[in-house]
Amino acid sequence: MVTPVIAIDNLHVKLGRREILKGISCRLGASGEGKAIGLLGPNGAGKSTLIQTLLGFHKPSSGSAQILGLDCHKQSAQVKARIGYMPENDSFISDMTAVAFLRLMGEISGMPPAAALEKAHEVLFHVGLGEARYRTVGTYSLGMKQMAKLAQAIIHGPQLVILDEPTNGLDPAARQRMLILIREMKEQHGMNVLLCSHLLRDVEEVCDEVVILKDGLIVHQSDLEAERSSDRRFVQLEVAGDDSKLAEAFQSIGAEAASESPGVWRVVLPREIEIGVLWRLAARENLRVTKLAYRRDTLEELFLKAVGHLRATPVTKQEAPVHGGI
Amino acid sequence: MAVFRRGYQRYTGPLVSPWQRLLVIPRFVWPRLLSQRFVVVLLVVSLFWPLACSVFVYFANHLELLQNNGAGPLAKVLAINGAFFSVFMNVQSTFAMILAAVAGPGLIAPDLANNALPLYFARPLSRGTYILARMIVLLGILSLVTLIPGLFVFGMQASMAGWDWFVAHWTYGTGIALGFLLWMITVSLVAMTSSAYVKWRVVAGALVMAFFFVLTGVGQIVNQVLRVQWGSLLSPGYLMLTIWGRLLGVETPWEGGPDATECMLALFVLIGVLLGVLLRKLRPVEVVS
Repeated sequence: MVTPVIAIDNLHVKLGRREILKGISCRLGASGEGKAIGLLGPNGAGKSTLIQTLLGFHKPSSGSAQILGLDCHKQSAQVKARIGYMPENDSFISDMTAVAFLRLMGEISGMPPAAALEKAHEVLFHVGLGEARYRTVGTYSLGMKQMAKLAQAIIHGPQLVILDEPTNGLDPAARQRMLILIREMKEQHGMNVLLCSHLLRDVEEVCDEVVILKDGLIVHQSDLEAERSSDRRFVQLEVAGDDSKLAEAFQSIGAEAASESPGVWRVVLPREIEIGVLWRLAARENLRVTKLAYRRDTLEELFLKAVGHLRATPVTKQEAPVHGGI
Repeated sequence: MAVFRRGYQRYTGPLVSPWQRLLVIPRFVWPRLLSQRFVVVLLVVSLFWPLACSVFVYFANHLELLQNNGAGPLAKVLAINGAFFSVFMNVQSTFAMILAAVAGPGLIAPDLANNALPLYFARPLSRGTYILARMIVLLGILSLVTLIPGLFVFGMQASMAGWDWFVAHWTYGTGIALGFLLWMITVSLVAMTSSAYVKWRVVAGALVMAFFFVLTGVGQIVNQVLRVQWGSLLSPGYLMLTIWGRLLGVETPWEGGPDATECMLALFVLIGVLLGVLLRKLRPVEVVS
């Protein structure tokens, strides 16, 4: 059995008297190396607290969190030796050159001095700061600082890299470069990535799994990779007329469906059902089809649904907590 | 192959021991400290007194030189004893305090200003280890003006006076080492705490000096107003001089008051309080309750 990258069991975290995480449980990255996990949620959902708990900054009031099979609180030093962390805010030593800064971070992670120096140069070229590596980090632009933060997170070759809003403040080209680097980290170097971002498109582009937090609870968890590789057909159907019996009709043909709003349906067709069946179904129910299109839930829709900004749809097999449909 | 050609590869080599990691921060900070002109000037100036004491020790062990040159009466006052080392330690500890006030404020404040603590603490480095590493930076610098010259002067005297003198007075050596170590730990903690709470270097440096003088003044006020003597326990200078007096077998200039054991206890309380205050400030993330 593969050890999950992150295993959380009934985790409660209190900051002062406020309970921020209210008993969350999940297993993430259970399918092997080189997985990217997206962590989403509205402001105040507990994303940062979860990341900080994984980093050992907060002590769980009950429950446990494990990274790569090691307890984040009790085996904090061993966990930290295996992870890299890119914080959201500016974090650096401003009067150090990028090379010296990275070398320091590498050595604190346990690398021998010579290896840390060599890797500092290597990783700075990798993130595109090769020409600026002898400049002090304090003189860098916002985009360069983001890259320097990424560089310090991966200099020691961690098994899990925790990225908190890595594309914040980046222009489109730099954002794309950052996403390519993140994808390379997991695909070419076998690192696992926990990506916390408000930009759902970033998560959708890079991640294999996604977890949505709201008010300290997990409200949605999806395996995006499995969804992408499935051959189910997602259809959006809009009809005019009384569609109150349509849900039963969909069930009768083995399709799963959810109503988004009156007359608007999201349908998942089994492989053996042809699209024409939907036309016949609508005709049988005396409904006029105004729109029929193949489409999947975008992550944004899923996010809004999970946090309650879209009308709640009946729970279908796809949208149950573990395998939501995208 | 050149690094810019071969691309990034994950590091999979050996890791160093936690003890070697402890010295990483000092290795990076010492060169930066010693590149500050004022620190270097202070270091040089603070070595004049040990040099003078070394000359004193030399003549004390070569009285014939003084007598041959008509300085016979001077020879009578040249005695190397506990009082001599006590005076030596008083002077050097003052330099150590000034050096800590100059070098200390730049140790932690920049990490707090640049929000660098999450980067340190997301690595296998605890808050305690971070404080220890920063303290080693200061202990190393302060040793140059306290421990090393002190043991050098003691060693010089022991080598010139011979084995019998050493056997009779080895406690001076341990007294110098232990006394200076306690002082260095105290001033280092004061300097680091000041650095953690005040981001302006000059103000933080002034606060280090003020800490010692103000507490001494407060102790005196307590003694006068309440007509007691335990108020002296608030004075780091009093604590240290009393402890040094016991270590070197020298009478303290004041009569009555808390003894060396009480002073040692008070010093440990002071160190504990400073550590607690420092640990409270050094958190990877601010928690608003």
